Amino acid sequence: MSSDVRFTDFKSDKQPTWCPGCGDFGTMNGMMKALAETGNDPDNTFVVAGIGCSGKIGTYMHSYALHGVHGRALPVGTGVKMARPDIEVMVAGGDGDGYSIGAGHFVHAVRRNVDMTYCVMDNRIYGLTKGQASPTSRSDFETSTTPEGPKQPPVNPLALALASGASFIAQSFASDALRHQEIVQKAVEHDGFGFVNVFSPCVTFNDVDTYDYFRDNLVDLEDEGHDPTDYEAAKEVILDSDKEYQGIMYQDENSVPYHEQHGVTEDMSEIPDGAPDDAMDLVREFY
Amino acid sequence: MGGESVEVSEAFSFTGEKVLHNMAEDLNWAVGGEAGDGIDSTGKIFAQALSRAGRHVFTSKDFASRIRGGYTAYKIRTSVDRVQSVVDRLDILVALTQRTIDENLDELHADSAIIYDGERSWEAEIPEEMNAVDVPLKSLAEDAGGAIMRNIVALGAACEITGFNVEYLDEALEKRFGGKGSKIVENNKAAARAGQEYVQEHYDLDHLGYDLETTDNDYVLLNGNEAIGMGALAAGCRFYAGYPITPATSIMEYLTGRIEEYGGHVVQAEDELSAINMALGGARAGARSMTATSGAGIDLMTETFGLIATSETPLVITDVQRSGPSTGMPTKQEQGDLNMALYGGHGEVPRFVVAPTSIDECFWKTIEAFNLAEKYQTPVFLISDLAMSVTEQTFAPETFDMDAVEIDRGKLVDDDSVDEWLDEQGRFRAHAVTDDGVSPRAIPGTIDGAHMSTGLEHDELGRRTEDQDERVQQVDKRSRKVETAKEDENWEYREFGDEDADNLILSWGSNEGALAEALDYLEDDGIDVRVISVPYIFPRPDLTDEIEAADDVIVVECNATGQFADLIEHDVLTRVKRINKYTGVRFKADELAEQITEKLSEEVPAQ
Repeated sequence: MSSDVRFTDFKSDKQPTWCPGCGDFGTMNGMMKALAETGNDPDNTFVVAGIGCSGKIGTYMHSYALHGVHGRALPVGTGVKMARPDIEVMVAGGDGDGYSIGAGHFVHAVRRNVDMTYCVMDNRIYGLTKGQASPTSRSDFETSTTPEGPKQPPVNPLALALASGASFIAQSFASDALRHQEIVQKAVEHDGFGFVNVFSPCVTFNDVDTYDYFRDNLVDLEDEGHDPTDYEAAKEVILDSDKEYQGIMYQDENSVPYHEQHGVTEDMSEIPDGAPDDAMDLVREFY
Repeated sequence: MGGESVEVSEAFSFTGEKVLHNMAEDLNWAVGGEAGDGIDSTGKIFAQALSRAGRHVFTSKDFASRIRGGYTAYKIRTSVDRVQSVVDRLDILVALTQRTIDENLDELHADSAIIYDGERSWEAEIPEEMNAVDVPLKSLAEDAGGAIMRNIVALGAACEITGFNVEYLDEALEKRFGGKGSKIVENNKAAARAGQEYVQEHYDLDHLGYDLETTDNDYVLLNGNEAIGMGALAAGCRFYAGYPITPATSIMEYLTGRIEEYGGHVVQAEDELSAINMALGGARAGARSMTATSGAGIDLMTETFGLIATSETPLVITDVQRSGPSTGMPTKQEQGDLNMALYGGHGEVPRFVVAPTSIDECFWKTIEAFNLAEKYQTPVFLISDLAMSVTEQTFAPETFDMDAVEIDRGKLVDDDSVDEWLDEQGRFRAHAVTDDGVSPRAIPGTIDGAHMSTGLEHDELGRRTEDQDERVQQVDKRSRKVETAKEDENWEYREFGDEDADNLILSWGSNEGALAEALDYLEDDGIDVRVISVPYIFPRPDLTDEIEAADDVIVVECNATGQFADLIEHDVLTRVKRINKYTGVRFKADELAEQITEKLSEEVPAQ
């Protein structure tokens, strides 16, 4: 790992095809800066991306990466980290990837508390399939598949994480570059599963949850004097559906990541040239 | 006949005309009762005692998908010669319930002995021709220290009936209960002796004519899933992700507690979708990784087959087949997933399909699967079946010679060799188009090896492309890996019987043992057959010459439609005869011999 890594080292030479103005640009920049600031470099970093506009991030970043199956980014990241505790794992996806098709994995990744970072680019819409309701769309949000709105409450991913026993819950806004980077950086540094829901506006298909909307309504928890180690206070802001918050809602200071709980500390890529020396003991067990 | 008279039910259709083939050489023993009665551990103790006596053992299980109640049995066939099949005959039965007797009536015969507890509430209905051995199992167990040992009392009784030295049972009891303290061990030994002595005092069976020979051979006793687990450890598997499902779970249970000794880990995922993706993650991180499943689990995993192939990730996916479709008969035998393994997943997915044909081969083929996966960076399907997964069989320990294990990690690059594979801009060509189709593989941490892999079609660097030339290059390169493997690897079959026989029997999976033993029956009837057992489904050996040289070709498999037979017909462009069994019960040697004889007399199906 070199000490002079710049965040641009995490940039690939592929130009993003995201729409101009897409929130994903800011989200990705903050992620790259957070990785560089925490002393990582592309050769010791593994990025897992899901499917959707957000999933393209693996192409635009430079690192070891897998762009996988829709909804399964967290399991892949889990496998990478368990096999290689020495590797920094960053998982990225959208609200559809994480809270719809991958919702089952989200719950369990949270409670497993594997030491990795999960950034969800939440634009409250399906962008790549050109504008259908997502699990975080408002109940009256009209789309091609929900002409009168989904008529069901949006998923509250922060509450889902809290209920699943999360050790780090945060929310950021792609356009507030400094705060976004700072929050992702805290998630990377966190000993355990660092979850950041990033407001990442879709400029093409979502005319409700826009940059202007978030700029006008975002409340920064830091300005509110919120103490992220206070579980009750965290619960309150997470369940407050009247406001859009930015900041670290909750952080368990005593978080013990999965690899420490389970003693998974070895680099599993290293194996002997033949069977292990004492392998005949495995056979003798069957006497 | 000894003991008290018993009531005989008129409902019994037993005729006493059982063919007592090999009766002198082998003993068929079973313990049965309800789930929760400790049937499995009781059977295993007796199997281990026989193994300690230097006798070969082959076990099978009747069980249901429930925790308590129902009917479950553990059956043992034992001989001083190698045994590799069940037969349609039961000589000694420890029956804890009437249903155990009823379920096995077809296999019992006039000289069978049935050990039961006459003090229990049910009134045993045992055909009068048989030897009813009433032993107060529960009372004797209580006297020895606890009712829980009643099955051990029955084992002692079984030793006496067959003239088997109860001291071998002691060794098995020490192994089973040694961890619980010497008091428990001694109580169990006392319980066994109580059963033995009771039979000695109250019955005059003269060991029913049995003289169970012992040898000095030391055998190990293991089942197919344990062999797969042990093979994985020998092969350097360090990461296993799975979701519990019968009958694959015991692979996960075997690895748990052992893989950690080698720095590895087992994770129980939230579902099979997650399990295979976790394993994929482990593999991309450089660990030899595996998942195993069965039934609907393999359906869920299918989603990720294509990604494994296009991202060129070495991964071993084990499917321990059970009866389907849907939930089917979850605790019953079937070989119905061959087409799924070959064709599962949308698009065209290059893969290898390896299907071990015996328990010892489960070990070796698992090691081979890991080597194939890493050499060719493809998904490798390791296909086993329920019969093999629950059957315990004895082997000489040298069968699993760990010194013979070879590890081939393929084109894994390091910090130095990575340079050869960088393009002019210093980017790693993870999907480089090569003559043999195999690209270099850099794992995280390798300096300058950073790259993306994806389920999207991609260029050499792993970046998305829809360029027609690049698409064709990548598809061809992935296919070329299979072609290279066809050339470079051994895709041999296993063979038994008479090489020059006009009758050719083809089989895959666990039917091999029953077929090998069926040869003896056929030989007795003057029928010569050549048996070819095929452990490689894709790529598979070319059987054209063998089939053309034969007059009659019969394909044997545990499914209804003949999936392997279809493949063979397609390969050789000729019709074959088929023996299919889909009752949920494996083939038995004697039954198979009968069916083969019958099939040989039939006309070959029209072209």
